Amino acid sequence: MTEEKPRIGVFVCHCGLNIAGVIDVKDLTDYARSLPDVFFAKDNRYTCADPGQDEIRKAIKENKLNRVVVAACSPRMHEPTFRKTCAEADLNPFFFEMANIREFSSWCHPSTPEEATEKAKEIVRMAVAKARLLQPLKEIEVPVTNKALVIGGGIAGINSALDLAEMGFKVYLLEKTESIGGHMAQLDKTFPTLDCSICIEGPKMVDVGRHSNIEIISYADLISVSGYVGNFKVKIKKKPRYIIADNCTGCGECRDVCPIEYPNEWDVNMGVRKAISVPFEQAVPLVYSINLDHCIECYKCVDSCGARQAINFDQEPEEIELDVGAIIVATGFDIYMPYDDPLYGYGKYDNVITALEFERLILAAGPTGGKVIRASDGKKPHSVAFIQCVGSRNLKKYEYCSGFCCMYALKNAILLKEKYKEDVEVYVLYMDMRTPFKGYEEFYRRARDLGVTFIRGRASHIIEDSQTKNLNIRAEDMTLGQPIELPAEMVVLCTAAVPKTDAGDLARILSISRDANGFFMESHPKLKPIDTPVDGIFVAGACQAPKDIPYSVSQGSGAAARAATILSKDKWKIEPIVAEVTPELCRNTRVKCGICADRCPYGSIEAIENQPAKVVTAMCHGCGTCVAECPADAIIQKHFTDEQIFAQIEEALKKNPEGKILGLLCNWCCYAGADLAGTSRFEYPPLIRPIRVMCSGRVDRDFVLEAFRRGAGMVMIGACHLPYDCHYISGNLRMKARMDALAPMLEKLGLSPHRFRVEYVSAAEGLKYAELMKEMAEKLDELGPEKIKAENAKLKPILDRMLAKKRPQKAQSSK
Amino acid sequence: MTAPEKNAKTTPKPTRFLLFLGCAIPYRVSSYEISTRKVLQQLGIELVEMPEYNCCGLPIDPVNHSMTLTLAARNLCLAEQQGLSIIALCPGCAGTLRKVNKKLKENKELKEEINGYLKATGLEFKGTIEAKHVLQLLVEDVGLEKIKASVKTPLTRLKVSEHAGCHVTRPADSVDFENPEDPQALKDLVEATGAEYVEYVDKLACCGAPIAGVNDRIPLQLTKEKLTHIRNAGAHAMVTVCPFCHMMFDTNQPRIERLFNETLRIPVLHYPQLLGLAMGFSPEELALKALRVDATQIVSRISGKEDAS
Amino acid sequence: MSKTQSNPRERPSETAKKGLRAKSGEETAEISATAPIRAQEFDPHFKHEVSKTHGGEKLKQCFQCGTCTSDCPIARFSDSYRPRTLIRMTLLGLKDRVLTSETLWLCAACFTCTDRCPQDVEVASVIRILRNTAVEKGYMPQIFKELGSSILETGVAYRIPDLRLKKRAQIGLPPLPKGNPEAMTKLAKATGFSKLLKRGEQA
Ligand SMILES: Cc1cc2nc3c(=O)[nH]c(=O)nc-3n(C[C@H](O)[C@H](O)[C@H](O)COP(=O)(O)OP(=O)(O)OC[C@H]3O[C@@H](n4cnc5c(N)ncnc54)[C@H](O)[C@@H]3O)c2cc1C
Ligand code: SF4
Ligand code: SF4
Ligand code: SF4
Ligand code: SF4
Repeated sequence: MTEEKPRIGVFVCHCGLNIAGVIDVKDLTDYARSLPDVFFAKDNRYTCADPGQDEIRKAIKENKLNRVVVAACSPRMHEPTFRKTCAEADLNPFFFEMANIREFSSWCHPSTPEEATEKAKEIVRMAVAKARLLQPLKEIEVPVTNKALVIGGGIAGINSALDLAEMGFKVYLLEKTESIGGHMAQLDKTFPTLDCSICIEGPKMVDVGRHSNIEIISYADLISVSGYVGNFKVKIKKKPRYIIADNCTGCGECRDVCPIEYPNEWDVNMGVRKAISVPFEQAVPLVYSINLDHCIECYKCVDSCGARQAINFDQEPEEIELDVGAIIVATGFDIYMPYDDPLYGYGKYDNVITALEFERLILAAGPTGGKVIRASDGKKPHSVAFIQCVGSRNLKKYEYCSGFCCMYALKNAILLKEKYKEDVEVYVLYMDMRTPFKGYEEFYRRARDLGVTFIRGRASHIIEDSQTKNLNIRAEDMTLGQPIELPAEMVVLCTAAVPKTDAGDLARILSISRDANGFFMESHPKLKPIDTPVDGIFVAGACQAPKDIPYSVSQGSGAAARAATILSKDKWKIEPIVAEVTPELCRNTRVKCGICADRCPYGSIEAIENQPAKVVTAMCHGCGTCVAECPADAIIQKHFTDEQIFAQIEEALKKNPEGKILGLLCNWCCYAGADLAGTSRFEYPPLIRPIRVMCSGRVDRDFVLEAFRRGAGMVMIGACHLPYDCHYISGNLRMKARMDALAPMLEKLGLSPHRFRVEYVSAAEGLKYAELMKEMAEKLDELGPEKIKAENAKLKPILDRMLAKKRPQKAQSSK
Repeated sequence: MTAPEKNAKTTPKPTRFLLFLGCAIPYRVSSYEISTRKVLQQLGIELVEMPEYNCCGLPIDPVNHSMTLTLAARNLCLAEQQGLSIIALCPGCAGTLRKVNKKLKENKELKEEINGYLKATGLEFKGTIEAKHVLQLLVEDVGLEKIKASVKTPLTRLKVSEHAGCHVTRPADSVDFENPEDPQALKDLVEATGAEYVEYVDKLACCGAPIAGVNDRIPLQLTKEKLTHIRNAGAHAMVTVCPFCHMMFDTNQPRIERLFNETLRIPVLHYPQLLGLAMGFSPEELALKALRVDATQIVSRISGKEDAS
Repeated sequence: MSKTQSNPRERPSETAKKGLRAKSGEETAEISATAPIRAQEFDPHFKHEVSKTHGGEKLKQCFQCGTCTSDCPIARFSDSYRPRTLIRMTLLGLKDRVLTSETLWLCAACFTCTDRCPQDVEVASVIRILRNTAVEKGYMPQIFKELGSSILETGVAYRIPDLRLKKRAQIGLPPLPKGNPEAMTKLAKATGFSKLLKRGEQA
């Protein structure tokens, strides 16, 4: 191990005016230079740009620096960049530490520049303290399984699968329903060119079905995923179709004899299908299935299938296991069914339908043979009104814009006009018409040119004439400034695109996160829009946010390329931030312990009787839960050791500790939420001194005790939401159990209840974090420094005693 | 009686309340008060007179919001002193008291501000009681089962519409009762009497009463439109639970007929009158005479059925 | 068809008009809602003022969709009353125009707009704030003066004639509690209500 004395270089970034506009960068740099072991300090305009990185490399060489601290943005942004910079200058990348003074200071405290600078100094001091204790680590190499799993066979997933297959990788395409195709297979034409949807998607579906590198696993559900980048183990459950797929030729003779019909969900329940059938003619794979809920078991199908013997009523669900190196999530969206909105009368008024139902109506191959007719009387409507933003852009329902509904309303308006000409009057009630991409605005003009009437104003409610079943739409025509009652014989609701109902389950299985709206969250909204926070798992298409077909296709291909960066390698490097048992300290040799093995969320610790426990490094995800759980302090988490965190606590609380909040924030949720508060420029009082841990499960009781021993005003642990949001499955639950026991003890010792808090903040809850900071600052103010000091003074001797036992041991274990 | 007993086992509901009459009811709608007292007594609700109360505050909200909050808060304080929750017959009063009660409980700063004003009268808002409209009392505290059980003569031959009034549910956020876009309470209560409930176009629309005095034409037009829809839907009668709505639909009905040359003749009962009839009270006991639009036809409709049976 | 059935042009009733005069001093000319907007009319700070008042917090979220006007019962039968337009004028800072607008007094406070606004703007509360502000500037329809002074004197908004009280006793209703004018006066003073009322009377 390197025993040489630390020589630390600190680089303070202006980030243009993002940091320098608030923080006195010169003062901060001078301050950094004055810290012990700091041999070099300099400020740059943009540290992450080439000249900035050059400067770091040069300084490492010229000043023989053996530790580097960059005070700039969040480590969630540029830690990998600067680690690489260090490596390029032959410095072990784990000798790098980042001080987050942008998201955590300049961006969130713009109106108090002095306090922001003061906070930045302390954040730098904390980083320097940690840097002093850093150890070099070697990246761990793992083998890569060169196969991929694509979840969801919509147009996005189809493109991912085809691209990967063409690159030569084996792809499993998992589809929940009986056929791939997704929403696109349900549509009539597609904007802005009006190609027939299934005519352009169908051939791609067939290509998928035929490709030797693609295996479609349809009518199946994802059960579990374990492992890590390059080495995922996937469990899938295939639902029984009661058909032996290999024997089924897709001839459909069975369907012809089946006497039973039921509503076809794929046809938005507007058409019917047989108890033995395929959802639509172009289904891929073209394998029939029997719906036992409707089947009367007359066995006529068995007879008609005859010698092919494809029907098997005894089929059971089947579980299969796959090994893959990368996963692409392309599960798409659902449309909002506005049954819960009495104002539009959907479900109550016959002639109010959703846009997806309209697509099925106007489609030549649809249930009405392409005739647009009213459910109430089967007659063609002479006036049709499209209502935009149903459920979208509404704080009571879905806040966001669903993106493609303006365009598909234009499409359907144009189709109606082209089909029925002046025989039909078409209205579109809209608030803003969103037509930004290639060919889209031209499409809008085409609709106007055809005589579609656009009314700027949100439809507020609809009234039905009980006799004629005609509709009366209430709105304000904003351009005239008058309320209007618009008569229409049919109303089409362009409803919001919403997250799939099972998106939460999927997020849990994959340990990926969802944004405030419930869509899957990307690693970075601008620079990593396809990655998820989990290495090796990518997103594509409308499951990340509503996207139209061109956008979904592009992202599908993008995800394939991202996955290929992993699949194309034999080995993949993973972060060595793992746990390690110090065998001499482990008490499992003497007593039956094994607590760590029990608490590890991944089962990656072996604790065989009479032997010291052992971490299986490749399986360790580096949450550090076992480290905090071990009663003998026998486990360390590399790069997040007890000493390092104790050192950060010490520096954070050197000055005016009773006025401060010591934060222990988990990297994936609360730290990211705090970052978002900064990115969103939510201002809050600058009292928190945050320490990043990978998982809240890493937070040792001793950290909390140490913080109070050093006089902290408040201590807050920031974790992912219970019960399932934890990036490491259950680290937050372990932390909670630990802290639930600690809190009453601290209260008994005289600590005011609000001073120790466990808070759950997701990566999407920047606002919540800022509000929390404000609220805590108020509480701190209410308590007042005197009361806090008095409580701490009372507490100190007890904490001294509690921690004294451990301190010498800790010193030892760092050797 | 088995159903209410079962309910009673879970959580004993309070049965004593302070009656908040407000300004309009004693001024000109005693029939609402009389019938409500009768019906509630029969249902085992004890009403205690509210001492020294004042206007709920709503009428002068356009002038000074602080005064409105303070007037409402004073009433709440008086109730707190009695340790009883408030029942108001006017949805405007109920809504205002509920809203202020909620806002002051939630918003510390606002509470301090209002308590500052109240200090001069030696009162302090603490937030220990609730306030509700009688409709909410009927569905939540008495319960539909008990109401159904109290019906002696189900009004099965009667088709009844309603206009509940905006403030029973709006603004949803602060009144916090039921979904204002799909309210059920009054519908359920009408059906509990055995009457047939009649839906009509624009049922949720306001009658406009609050601006009568600033502008009379618009409220009259609004009410006319609603009455016409109710007539066209085939209702024999309608019910309200608000003194102001009642004034628009009942008191002003002859005027509307004259002004718009329409024949409406729709009796407008206070809901407790309807329930009272079903419970077997006489029209006199329920002050049916006080209604402007003659209600004898519906009384004979009900009794006509009695004769037949 | 009777002549009353045609939609009569709207005229604010006489009572409404009476009170609606700005008091002397900072004489503000009444500006018609349809007049062209001149540069000097803008007070960009106005929207911030309103949104700092209780109930106006969400004002600035308005994206001008028209739901409030569309579902406003009054707007349906009025040629001039448009809640969205009041919100719009407030956002633009047309302070004098909106505060002197006679239509400001036509809101029935039914809260339909508040419940239906997709951006959670408490439209009816914003209108209440505008009215409160107009009152501070000396605009107030007569009827509110009457209601206000009755409350100060009797505790309730309508003076109940003695005959009614006697009738109550006759039909066996419990007597009404006495009002507490003393408390009313104290509260009106503390909240500034009495001052506003006086200002209105002078106008
Ligand atoms: C009415 C309407 C009209 C439209 N018109 C147009 C248009 O004209 N032009 C245009 O560009 N766009 C249009 N769109 C948008 C278009 O539908 C989307 O862009 C496109 O469907 C997105 O593709 P996707 O693959 O991401 O998702 P989807 O099409 O939703 O496909 C997702 C697939 O994943 C499967 N799946 C979901 N969950 C799971 C799971 N847990 N496990 C396994 N599989 C799962 C689903 O069954 C489905 O097959 C329209 C949308 C609507 C609603
Ligand atoms: S795309 Fe258009 S219709 Fe859809 S939510 Fe956005 S603005 Fe509304
Ligand atoms: S918890 Fe600690 S002492 Fe127990 S087996 Fe694990 S490493 Fe050893
Ligand atoms: S409903 Fe709300 S968002 Fe729409 S115009 Fe009115 S205030 Fe603005
Ligand atoms: S509260 Fe006023 S503005 Fe809003 S809908 Fe009712 S009358 Fe119209």
